[in-house]
Amino acid sequence: MIELERVEETSCDFATLVREHQAMVFSLSYHFLHDRDLAEEIAQEVFLSLHKHIADIKSPEHAVFWLRKVVVQRSIDETRRKKRRPQVALELVAEPAAASSRDSDPLLGEVLRRLIATLPETPRMVMVMRYQEDLDPAEISELLEMPLGTVKSHLQRSLALLREKLQRRGVGDY
Amino acid sequence: MDWLEKELAKALERKEPSPDFAAKLTARIESEAPRRSRLFHFPRWMPAAAAFVMLATSGSLAWRRHQGMVAKEQVMLAMRITAGKLNHVQAHVREAQQ
Amino acid sequence: MRSVGVLLLAALMPLSAQQFKFNLENLEKKASDTVDVSLSGSTLQFAAKFLDGKDPEEAKVKKLMSGIVGIYVKSFQFKAEGTWSQADLEGIRKQLHEPEWSRIVGVKSSEDRENTEVFVRTENKKIAGVAVISAEAKQLTVVNIVGDVDLESLADLSGHFGLPKLEAVPPKKSKR
Repeated sequence: MIELERVEETSCDFATLVREHQAMVFSLSYHFLHDRDLAEEIAQEVFLSLHKHIADIKSPEHAVFWLRKVVVQRSIDETRRKKRRPQVALELVAEPAAASSRDSDPLLGEVLRRLIATLPETPRMVMVMRYQEDLDPAEISELLEMPLGTVKSHLQRSLALLREKLQRRGVGDY
Repeated sequence: MDWLEKELAKALERKEPSPDFAAKLTARIESEAPRRSRLFHFPRWMPAAAAFVMLATSGSLAWRRHQGMVAKEQVMLAMRITAGKLNHVQAHVREAQQ
Repeated sequence: MRSVGVLLLAALMPLSAQQFKFNLENLEKKASDTVDVSLSGSTLQFAAKFLDGKDPEEAKVKKLMSGIVGIYVKSFQFKAEGTWSQADLEGIRKQLHEPEWSRIVGVKSSEDRENTEVFVRTENKKIAGVAVISAEAKQLTVVNIVGDVDLESLADLSGHFGLPKLEAVPPKKSKR
């Protein structure tokens, strides 16, 4: 009976963690890979892994950190495994199709998501962490185990590239 | 945050997975858990599934609403894409008429 | 250089429709990314319940959806120009064959590098579906709306997404 209660408590936590964080986990993978089915698969695997390691989770904050770390690793692994995107210098990234003006374009969000998806994997993940999760550079640096200066550099260069591409298309508020 | 950063934050807002995501996860947990003797205690997966069911039942209305909002967003996305394409047609027809 | 087809938008009475679905497998295989929305039947009715009648945008969509039985949108993104071909485009057009389907407008813009065509499906001289094919260098979008499609409301929709309103134009004479 005691064992059952203990298991129930853990299971309730797990269910709560799934409900509270499934959007975060799925979205991190989706915005990185730009593939809904694959992102769902990876999100499932992340939570399966969480289920196996649930005893190691010390707090809700720890769970969030753990989930972010694992989904980042899995998503990057998937990219490398399938060679989903050739490594291209930022300046040479091809332009996806874009609409003509910000005010009349209902698909600006989709344009931006696709532009993000064409970035090399490291700056891509930095950008997703920054703008999906609203993490500051120091938090991103800790999560991705990357020097703070490198994180800032990726952010600056990626934003500059996006601005340039959008401005070329006549989209923007400059 | 400047304009671009605000747009990026909007574009990269969290999205929900498919409505049956949790159900699929439960099914996978059940199928991957090792079988145990039921003589003295429940199989390991059963409390997890039971807890899930309990939560699902008690939160069924909230879950249903959540599924509805996900479906609604898909409808709005489809309509926005369609409107964008029709707008392109309209802009050129107007120009041709002038 | 631009060539613009004549827009035919008759205010036709809505009518019930059979389900028509595109076969786009060959494009899916070539695409690097796909936006895929597929809603029909009870899912569509379920979604409609959550549209907010007080929000102008959602209210218009809710009204439009009353006669719609299916909404299918696929937008394919390709890594490089030339991935999709005219044969692919023709393959899509061929699925919209006469006499059920007729092309009511086509817009070709070399400046935007975007071609858009609008087709309507008719049953007993009434609209039973609308299809839109939009082709850009690295993107192909196919929209299929099945059911009692109120073209006036669909046209009106563009005014509610921050877009200029689509205006109806007097119909041209039918060739049939």
